[in-house]
Amino acid sequence: MAAEKKKRRRSEDDDDDAALPFKNRLKPDSVILQILQSFSSSSSAASTSKTLTLSDLSLSTTCREVADLSLTSVQSTIESLVLKIAKSILSGNGFSFDVPSRTSTNQLYVPELDRIVLKDKNTLRPFANVSSVRKSTITARILQLIHQLCMKNIHVTKRDLFYTDVKLFQDQSQSDAVLDDVSCMLGCTRSSLNVIAAEKGVVVGRLIFSDNGDMIDCTKMGMGGKAIPPNIDRVGDMQSDAMFILLVEKDAAYIRLAEDRFYNRFPCIIVTAKGQPDVATRLFLRKMKVELKLPVLALVDSDPYGLKILSVYGCGSKNMSYDSANLTTPDIKWLGVRPSDLDKYKIPEQCRLPMTEQDIKTGKDLLEEDFVKKNPGWVEELTLMVKTKQKAEIQALSTFGFQYLSEVYLPLKLQQKDWL
Amino acid sequence: MEIGGSKESPEKPKKGKSKTPRKPPKDSVLKQKSPAEFFAENKNIAGFDNPGKCLYTTVRELVENSLDSAESISELPVVEITIEEIEKSKFNSMIGLVNRERVDEELYDDYESTKARVKRLAKEAKNQEVQAKNAAHGKKTKEHTPTKVLKGRGETSFYRVTCKDNGRGMPHDDIPNMFGRVLSGTKYGLKQTRGKFGLGAKMALIWSKMSTGLPIEISSSMKGQNYISFCRLDIDIHRNMPHIHLHEKQQNKERWHGAEIQVIIEGNWTTYRSKILHYMRQMAVITPYAQFIFKFISDTSDKNMTIKFARRTDVMPPVPIETKHHPSSVDLLLIKRLRAETSKQNLLQFLQHEFVNIGKSHAERLIGEMGPDFSPKMDVKSLTDQQIVRIHQLFRQAKFDDPSGECLSPAGEYNLRLGIIKELHPELVATHSGSAQVFEGHPFIVEAGVSLGGKDVKLGLNIFRFANRIPLLFEQGADVVTRTAIKRINWSSYKINQSQDKIGIFVSIVSTKIPFKGTGKEYIGDDINEIASAVKSAIQQCCIQLKTKIVKKIQAREQQERKRNLSKYIPNATGAVYDVLKEMAQSHVSKKKRFEGEDAELLSKVSARLITKDTLSEKLAQHVEQVDYEMALEYATQSGVSEEPRENIFIQALEMNHQFMDFTNPIFVFRLIS
Repeated sequence: MAAEKKKRRRSEDDDDDAALPFKNRLKPDSVILQILQSFSSSSSAASTSKTLTLSDLSLSTTCREVADLSLTSVQSTIESLVLKIAKSILSGNGFSFDVPSRTSTNQLYVPELDRIVLKDKNTLRPFANVSSVRKSTITARILQLIHQLCMKNIHVTKRDLFYTDVKLFQDQSQSDAVLDDVSCMLGCTRSSLNVIAAEKGVVVGRLIFSDNGDMIDCTKMGMGGKAIPPNIDRVGDMQSDAMFILLVEKDAAYIRLAEDRFYNRFPCIIVTAKGQPDVATRLFLRKMKVELKLPVLALVDSDPYGLKILSVYGCGSKNMSYDSANLTTPDIKWLGVRPSDLDKYKIPEQCRLPMTEQDIKTGKDLLEEDFVKKNPGWVEELTLMVKTKQKAEIQALSTFGFQYLSEVYLPLKLQQKDWL
Repeated sequence: MEIGGSKESPEKPKKGKSKTPRKPPKDSVLKQKSPAEFFAENKNIAGFDNPGKCLYTTVRELVENSLDSAESISELPVVEITIEEIEKSKFNSMIGLVNRERVDEELYDDYESTKARVKRLAKEAKNQEVQAKNAAHGKKTKEHTPTKVLKGRGETSFYRVTCKDNGRGMPHDDIPNMFGRVLSGTKYGLKQTRGKFGLGAKMALIWSKMSTGLPIEISSSMKGQNYISFCRLDIDIHRNMPHIHLHEKQQNKERWHGAEIQVIIEGNWTTYRSKILHYMRQMAVITPYAQFIFKFISDTSDKNMTIKFARRTDVMPPVPIETKHHPSSVDLLLIKRLRAETSKQNLLQFLQHEFVNIGKSHAERLIGEMGPDFSPKMDVKSLTDQQIVRIHQLFRQAKFDDPSGECLSPAGEYNLRLGIIKELHPELVATHSGSAQVFEGHPFIVEAGVSLGGKDVKLGLNIFRFANRIPLLFEQGADVVTRTAIKRINWSSYKINQSQDKIGIFVSIVSTKIPFKGTGKEYIGDDINEIASAVKSAIQQCCIQLKTKIVKKIQAREQQERKRNLSKYIPNATGAVYDVLKEMAQSHVSKKKRFEGEDAELLSKVSARLITKDTLSEKLAQHVEQVDYEMALEYATQSGVSEEPRENIFIQALEMNHQFMDFTNPIFVFRLIS
């Protein structure tokens, strides 16, 4: 049925233009593929150059970075810490933890690396203080639980961890925050603590990889795609004939592209974390980028949060800046939906939303951020957004038909190399 | 107005029908309406919407008149208000109507058909069953009020409202006109007053005439008069004239001065009881220098009540002064009226003396600006209409100094504070009095008080609004104070929890013209930026004062609870540490992992159970104790023995001469009332 309809549509000329604007500007797929091919190869050539690390730079402020540690070394680090505490208690001095501060004042954007790193400020967390007694107790408890995991060599989720002592933790956000503190304090990545987050991200398209030894072909995962494994060390042997990776903010747009098998028309890998990206998705994206050397194009909403999500993939979040080396994917291109697209693609007024005061404030704050400033194109787009005070979701394109996104908008964007 | 309008229309054709049936509406005769008639038909304008509200408004108008009257002679007000319920049979005998039993039951609205009764009984039985069940399960449920039987109009009660004060009283000859003529009053003029339109007492009279047909009774005496004027009158609504039944002078033995007004009206005590009591309570808050005695008397004795709101201070705000108009607040009509009334001859003097903030040189400059056909010496009365328009335009455009707030009489921070403390007994209270500001040429002053805790205060925001020192009870939602308190104050930044704390917010606005919204003079709109920002800043000032007190309190509480809060976590912390130690000790013993030196020593002590969880807990507890002691010492040295400044208390003067019994001592005397 659908195919028939499509054919009939193509035969009509004038009506078609009205229904799907700009469709007539599309060149045949082969031409677009050629454009993509050249883009893909040029970017893979660029990314072969060695990526910089913190140690390569001589920064005036010392910065903290964590590394993947083996289970035994995590265990012995915890043990020496606990011994120190026990001695301190026995000598009658109580105890306190020296925790790296993860506040925004202790963050630094390094333009050379294009990501946020953590400076070396520490805060003391003494037990005998009303304001920190809770946190230091929770820290001790989390250390003990991680120690158990190390000894038994098993993985648990953050939720599991929370439920081991609900009465003390009260709220999962508290145990989660302390977990990040602990990995920062021990100087290891969160994955090395054997604590994982629940699966959130999904991937579909021209990608084959092994998950815990099983080979997965992401073109044969049905419509929903493959859930991104929570611990990246299970993932290996990545192969792909894709030309680019398409990062999608929203689940709805992802489903549209997956169902339309967009990756078969233009060979690509489609990834989404359904909103704010979790650690697993960010690790996975980085791994794909590094191993497959593919360019990454992002499709996010045209609002400040879309850009914020983009920045988390690109430069890391402040919360996890201690591990930004492993979590960030450099050089993500902003494909759409960009504020300038609203007029360019004549998105009708009723599909645009007025920005709230909070939106405008977030937008203005973003304009002050270094990772936005470094890209003049982004500054221009964001300034336009704040000026017009209008935002739109990816779904606004559905006003021209549900498949407008996959049939016209994205191909045209790719053909025009319209990314920033 | 709309309600009145729609009410009017069905009445007219009725009249038409009875006289000349089916006349086309165009031929209707041009009729004139007296002011009294207008207000009788549109009584909701003055707050007489339904019997319940009528009772409330009557009480309110009488009380406010009494206060104004006492304050005008700088007498500390004593107001006695009595509401006496009169049953229908008693009322009928009062007006000489024979009680009639119902003969044809089905004629009445509350007649219950057999079908309805079966339904009701079934419902009641079910309710009882549910209640019994709940009681058996020990559940607490709200008492089911027995299904209300429809109350017909015939069953609304009648009330005798009496209000007695110690005010100025009224001149004997003026009494009929003061009560029997709508829109005649002593409070016209530009001045901060409680009442404004000369409506209050007259509306009560109109309502009594509409509902009971009984006249109003007034006793009054002025200071130094040796007689009491007594007057019984009602109002001729069509002619807006008093209709005097009795007007005589009586003996004044007690040398009483003041007024006592008694009116019998239809009302509804059950539904408006709480409103009336709230009103009295809030009035007591804003006028702590007055004494109110409120009585409710009915035949069923358990409903009776007497509440005395005692005087707490004898400091009274000054009497508001009548002021002249500010040039930017006048309109054409007002200029014409002022011109007609003025005693000044020429334009210069007229400008200089009939308006505030225009000095001589300023007036000359203004006249120069008006144009060549104006001169300082020209006769005011000779001004043409066009010339007056020119003056008005100039007044609108020119810049004038803001009127001063001197003519206003705010309650005063002291009184507001006292009132709050007296009626709510809060834990903390802060008050602030703003400086005078201006809206459309009228000065206004905003005073605010914020209290925390107290009795009879519900959780969350409790808002008390006052305009020209009268409480506003209705239409709270749209009011500028409510909106500001809910939306524009960030309570949490002052360490106040908007939903968990008992917060009392008192805002009193006084002005020569309060910009009321709506017909009922019940709220001030949120759209006036000057007032909204003044209210906001006044409330914020109070919150800032409170914040320091709250922070101190929190600190003190932390001091007390620190040890407990710290000790609470000892088992958790030591448990976690000990668990890891135990595991380590095991692997040390089983030689899976080697530890050396001090560490090995410690671990072997753990495996030998020389160090247990309890040892760790004990040591940690010792540490906590020590830290607590140090911090308590530090806190004590820091805060010292500073105490809040003490406040004066007001001891009421004894009213009558008493016999005293003295116990004398070189330093003091005990005087006991014998």
